[in-house]
Parts: sequence; structure tokens; C-alpha cells
Amino acid sequence: MKILVITEQRDGKWNPVSSETLLAAQQIAAAQPGSRVAAVVIGKGVHGLAEEVAANQLAEILLVEHDLLDKYTPDGYAIALKQVVTQTQPDLVLLPHTYQVRDYAPKLAASLGKGMIADCVGYRAEKERVIFVRQMFQGKTAADVSFTGAPPWFVSFQAGAFRGDQVARGASAAPVTAISVNLQAEQIRTKPLDLFREAKQAVDLTQAPILVAIGRGIKAPENIPLAEKLAKLMGGELAASRPICDEGWLPMDRQIGSSGQTVAPKLYLALGISGAIQHVVGMKGSRTIVAINKDQNAPIFEVADYGIVGDIFELIPALTEVLEKK
Amino acid sequence: MSIERERLDADVLIVGAGPAGLACALHLARLIRQHNESGGKPELSTEGIYVLEKGRDIGAHQLSGAVLDPRALAELVPDFAKTAPLDTPVNDDAAYFLTASRAWKLPITPPPLRNHGNYIVSVSKLAKWLGGLVEQAGVNVFTQFAGAQLIHEGEAVAGVITEDKGRDKDGKPKDNFTPGYELRAKITVLAEGPRGSLTKHLVADRHLDGLNPQVYSIGVKELWEVPPGRITPGWVAHTLGWPLNSSMYGGGWVYGMRENRVSLGLVTGLEYHNPRFDPHEAFQLFKTHPFVRRILEGGKLVRYGAKTIPVGGWYSIPRTYLGGCLIIGDSASLLNSQRLKGIHMAIKSGMLAAETIVDALRAGDTSGTKLSAFRHKVDESWIGSELRSVRNFHQSFQHGLWLGLAHTAVQFVTGGRGLVDPMRMKAGHEQYHMLDGAGPAPPRFQGDGVLTFDRLTDVYHSGTRHEEDQPCHLHVLDTNICVNRCIIEYGNPCQYFCPAAVYEMVEEKGGRRLKINFSNCVHCKTCDIADPYQIIDWVPPEGGGGPNYEGM
Repeated sequence: MKILVITEQRDGKWNPVSSETLLAAQQIAAAQPGSRVAAVVIGKGVHGLAEEVAANQLAEILLVEHDLLDKYTPDGYAIALKQVVTQTQPDLVLLPHTYQVRDYAPKLAASLGKGMIADCVGYRAEKERVIFVRQMFQGKTAADVSFTGAPPWFVSFQAGAFRGDQVARGASAAPVTAISVNLQAEQIRTKPLDLFREAKQAVDLTQAPILVAIGRGIKAPENIPLAEKLAKLMGGELAASRPICDEGWLPMDRQIGSSGQTVAPKLYLALGISGAIQHVVGMKGSRTIVAINKDQNAPIFEVADYGIVGDIFELIPALTEVLEKK
Repeated sequence: MSIERERLDADVLIVGAGPAGLACALHLARLIRQHNESGGKPELSTEGIYVLEKGRDIGAHQLSGAVLDPRALAELVPDFAKTAPLDTPVNDDAAYFLTASRAWKLPITPPPLRNHGNYIVSVSKLAKWLGGLVEQAGVNVFTQFAGAQLIHEGEAVAGVITEDKGRDKDGKPKDNFTPGYELRAKITVLAEGPRGSLTKHLVADRHLDGLNPQVYSIGVKELWEVPPGRITPGWVAHTLGWPLNSSMYGGGWVYGMRENRVSLGLVTGLEYHNPRFDPHEAFQLFKTHPFVRRILEGGKLVRYGAKTIPVGGWYSIPRTYLGGCLIIGDSASLLNSQRLKGIHMAIKSGMLAAETIVDALRAGDTSGTKLSAFRHKVDESWIGSELRSVRNFHQSFQHGLWLGLAHTAVQFVTGGRGLVDPMRMKAGHEQYHMLDGAGPAPPRFQGDGVLTFDRLTDVYHSGTRHEEDQPCHLHVLDTNICVNRCIIEYGNPCQYFCPAAVYEMVEEKGGRRLKINFSNCVHCKTCDIADPYQIIDWVPPEGGGGPNYEGM
């Protein structure tokens, strides 16, 4: 099977979810003998990034550069990648399910008359085909979906579905091949303006590798700086369950859960969070979950990898002290 | 702020796409076609029939047990046995009396609880299917639109204004603000289900109440998937007794459906005396009884929901007709609480309303007098005879289970008259006993997460969602009453009777405050009904919001 991974970068910086997609591709390839994985790096002035990706165990890196691909536009990416796909004839095109991919990938697939299975959380390789698993009804059920019809097949994987740090390194660097694409300015119907940032500092919790989340156990807004300090020392961001944001103690963009953000950081530290199902669905994909709660029966302990039944007002200062000494 | 609203003119506007509203629309479309085909004048059109449904799709807000008496469906859709989504015919009926540890099977299943010839159904699936037939008949059903206000013209009802969409939590218009439409209609049919929001205000403002006020019960339901062989499809069990005490009206149900599914729930009359009673907790306890536990053990919760049921019966039926307006189905309390059945009456009343409407449109007369024919039709149909035979049933339980059963026995042999006819009854919210020095509140129920669940976990399984940034749709007239009076007199029963954890009294510096988590709301209307001071007004939130009662 020929697999093509579309990696994502912005302003020369990787979207880390790209590594997860690379791993997914490598795993699927391993299950289907004779497979080949290539990765696309798309943008302008991204040769350095292409060389970075080449260190992984891949058959080839396809460097797609064009002046008009400097800033992301849905038309630019869709038109350029359509040419890449037509040229390279992959069976499977894998993408990370990012906001950007949600924007251009359906357009790309449709332009080739193909469908797309989006936001998958896993796959199952069978003899004749690969079955993709995606969630339905807010994660209550998982559906097996497979393609009928001829390739190329488009699939995107949910953030956190694979472990980006387990991508296999290659014995030697993969060759980087430049692919030229045709793009005319008239084809690009949108003009990207400055990136929008919320009033104060923008926080995209989905990008933070470490999250320190507080729940009702924090008791009062005056105690929040304690957790904030701990988060900073750990190199993470502050997040919260719904009651905290409902009270206005933290803004809504810090909320994790079914009516907030879904995250999958490397480490999620839940402080004084009971673990109601509405919160858990927003963070259960986290790599490692550590929970501290006074109540030993709190449901959070069912999803936690490490749990402490204790008082967060004893433990936060204790953790802070240890980290400050380092 | 005066808003300009777009205006649409209809012939007939039906508010609510449940069994009553959809039966009305379907029958109306047929009668109109027949009228036109036989050369009737003036010619009528199905294009002038609009149905409004506040749910995301038809069936999203429909919930019931349910065991359907198919007699009305047979009239509406004669080949229903082949085409309707009936789950399974009832093949075994039993009634039980529960004590804390035992289940006593009644040697004879009481006649009202005998269900031979009936079907176990999902009312949500039934509504979806009916909705399909209605749309095929050329009637427009507008989902995600609620009836927010009635339009009055003199003494008559002239239509409905739908809800504004796109207001933020402070009521200010957002970028996507769209004012509600002014839908004018010659005849507006209120088919909003129990405690309809438009119906409630109309009945109060125009003094349309029957001899007794409308009274309600709350039904808390879960749908489970159990290991194969645990339950026989078609098995219907009703229970009395535990966990309700003898001063309370209500009982439980367990129905075996196909594909290893079980529908179960607990109904509690919303006229109990203890303001700290928690219907959701009582249902969770019901599941721990060995009789129920042995069915559910090893199974999995599929869905949760709650809804109120109008149980007042014959004497609680309000005036159902006004100039330009009819009230049908649960909104008109057309439900037999002894048999626990209302879907058949909802469908039949929809059909009778359709007949009344066609006559009125033909005659060009939509006055109250002309539309009063609807009530005559109801009285003369089997709805009338069935409800008259149980006309004093619910009221007879005011003084407890045993007296109620005694009264019922006498009513049974006297065609419904019983010892007192008509038996009067007060509204449910007037039946609380004040706390008066009762001890501290007991701790809240947590559940074990396997067989029993806390409220929040259950709410998650109702699929309920609302646009978060919108005004709160639960209007509390004066929260000072909550914080100063209710807290002492009744202990804030909203925290207990709401099956969706919408209401919370939270500690704050210097006291307490009412916190309303409106996005959990499952649209059951219990708060509007059971609040002791009647200061809670439930209004429809932005259309599309609410539960997703697939399969319920």
C-alpha cells in the first residue's frame, strides 16, 4: 500500500500532531507488507523542516513549495495537493485532524471525486483492507468505517489517537524530492489576514504538552494563583473544569470537557476535579493522567494513571517546593 | 426594543410534532385532499399547514415507556402493524407490589394493567415515522423552531411568534441574530405535550382550567442493554410500593424489548408532601431492588431521560377551544392515568381536531363556537368514554395508596362514579409540607457508576445540549424568594425534583445563591410544575437545543 502523509506547519513551526500521523502511517504500513510511506511538507521556505522529517523511517519526503503557499489558504493547499496526489497516486492519504485540515481536506477529496473518513481514533488492518474507527454520539459509540471504491482514500486522525514521540527513526535520512505545482493567484479566492488572537494572550490548550487543571476543589478564586504557579513551573498551561468557568473564575477558553475543549496532552494533572463524565470525555485521551482529590470515590480515579487521595492545598505547595529546588 | 419580524401566513399552525400534532397534520392533509377531490369549495391546500417542533429532529424530545394501545393508530394508519416501528407485541403482563427486599406478584393482573393486543414502542421512533408520513403528505415540519409567544387578536388566537435566535447570555443580539417569525394562522393547534409553555399561559390568562387544575407526574426513565437471555421481548411488568411510600402516587415499570433492550423507569406524582423527595434518586434505588437488579446486572446504560405526564384525567381537561385555537393531546390532559396510556388519545385527539378544522375552514368560521365541536367530538368518542370511566381515579390517591385503591375498587363497579363524584383536587405544588424544623438535608445520592448513577452522569446520557451563549430559558421571577423564604420553608426543592441537576444552591460569601445550569435541561417541565411558589417559568430555549431521545 502506498501511503502519503500530509504534515502541517505554520510559519516554520511544526504542528506536533503531524508526528502522530507519521506514526499511524508507519504502523499501517507495517501491517501491510510491501507498503511505502512518503510524507509531504508543504509551504514556502520549509526545506529545513523537510530535512527534519527525513530523519524518520520514511521512503521519501515530498517538498511542495510555492510562493502562493507561504500563508495557508484552503484553495492553495487543495489545488497544490490535488496535483501531488494525482502525480504520486497513493492509495491512502493520511492527515492530522487539525482545524486547517478540516478546512481544506474535504475540498481536496471532493476535487478528486473521493470521500473522506475524518477524525478517526484508530484503525484495524485486515487482510484485504484497512478499517478506520471513528467515534459517534460524543464518544459513546465507535463506528468501523471502510472505503468502497478505488483509491486514493483520505483519512484524518484525531489529535491524541497516536503517540507522536514513538515515530520510528530511519537508519538513514530519506531522500527529499521537490515537487513543483502550478498555482495561479486568480485560483486563490481568499486572502489570509493576520492570525486572530483572543484579546489577551491566546491559549490553545490543545497544543500544550502539559496541563494543570483545577476543579471545584480549588474552592475560591484566590487559590487559583497557586495552581497557576505550579503549571508554569511544570512548563504547562492552566485549564479548568466547567464549574470554574461558569463562576467566571477563569475564562471559557480554559474549559475542558464536552462543552469546552478536547485535549490530549502528554501530562494532565487534575486537581480537585471529581471526574464527571462531561469533563472526562474532554481529557481521557491524555497520555498520562494524574489526579489529586480528597474523595477516594471520585470517578476521576477511574481514568487516572496515578492518583493521590489527598488535600490539594497540601500537595500543590509540596509539588511547587520540589520543582522550585530544581 | 422593537424588532421587525418577518411575517408568514398559514391556514393551520400546529405547535409540536409529537403523536398528537403529527396525527392532526396527517389526518388534516388527507381530509383536505378528499375535500378537494370531491370538488369541495373553497379549495383548501396542504401548503398552508405548518408544524413547529423545537427539537433538533422529530422525535428528539419524545419520551415515554411505552406500551401503546393501537386503536387510534389503526384508525390513522390502517396498515400500521406492517409499517409502524413497533418494537414488540406484549406477550406477558404482570403487576408486582415491592417491599424493600421482596416482590409480591399480584395473582391477578388488574384489568387496567392488562396489555394483550398492545405493543411496546419507542414513542421517539413512532414520532419519527409519523413525521415521515406527514412530510410525504406535503406538510412542512419546521424542526428547531419553538413557539415562543401567542399572537392574540381580540379574544381570538391569531398565531404564534417563534423564538428569537442568536441572542447572547445577556439577551443582546449576536452576529447571527434572527428575530422570531410572526406566523399568523387561521387556526393554531397547541400540541406541546405536558405543561406546554404556550398552553400554560393561555389556560391561566383565559381561565380555561377544568373543574380541577391540571396535575402531573414525573417519569424518570433509562434504556438499558442487558446480557442475552436476561429478558423476554414483550414482557411487561408494573410495580407499586417500594421505593415510594404509601402516601405517594406512582409506580415503576420494566418492559422487555427486542435485541436485549430493557425500558425501565419510575413515575412519581408531583404532589408528594416531602419537599426533599428526589424522584431521580428514587428511580436509582428502584434499580437496586433484587427484582430489577437481577435483570440489569452486567448490562449497560444506553440512554436516560425524564418527562412529565398529565395525570389529572377527565375533570382536569381544560377548555380545549378558543377563537382560532385548539388544545390537543397531553397539553389538554387527555391521558388515562389508570392504564398509564396517553399516546392513543393524543393520536385520536389530533384526528378529531383535524376534522373540526376542515369543517371550520370550509365554513370560513374559526370562532370559538365553531371550534367547540372539537370538545363534543372528544366527549362522544372513545376518549370520552374511556376517560369518564376513570374520572376520579387520580384524585382518590390524595390520601394515600390504600384509600386510593379502595376508592378505585368502588369506581370500577360504578362506571367511574365511586364514592365521591366529582372528586376535587388541589394543584400538586400546593401539597408540600413545610420543613418546620426538620433536620438537616440528607446527603445527595452518588450512585455506584455501574447500576446506579448520579444525576450528571445520567444527564450526559440524555444527549442534551444547548447553545451555551444564550439567555437562560428558566425564568425565576424573584430569586430573593429562593434565598430568603424557600430555603427555610421548603429547603429549595428545585435541587431535588429536577432530574437534570439544573438547579443548585451554591454557597457564597454571606449566604447562598441559586445557580441555574440551564444547558443540562431535558425539557421535562417538572420545575415549572412543582415549584412551591410557582415563580419558575419554563420558556423554550433556542430551537434545536434539548435532549436527544433516540430510541426512547
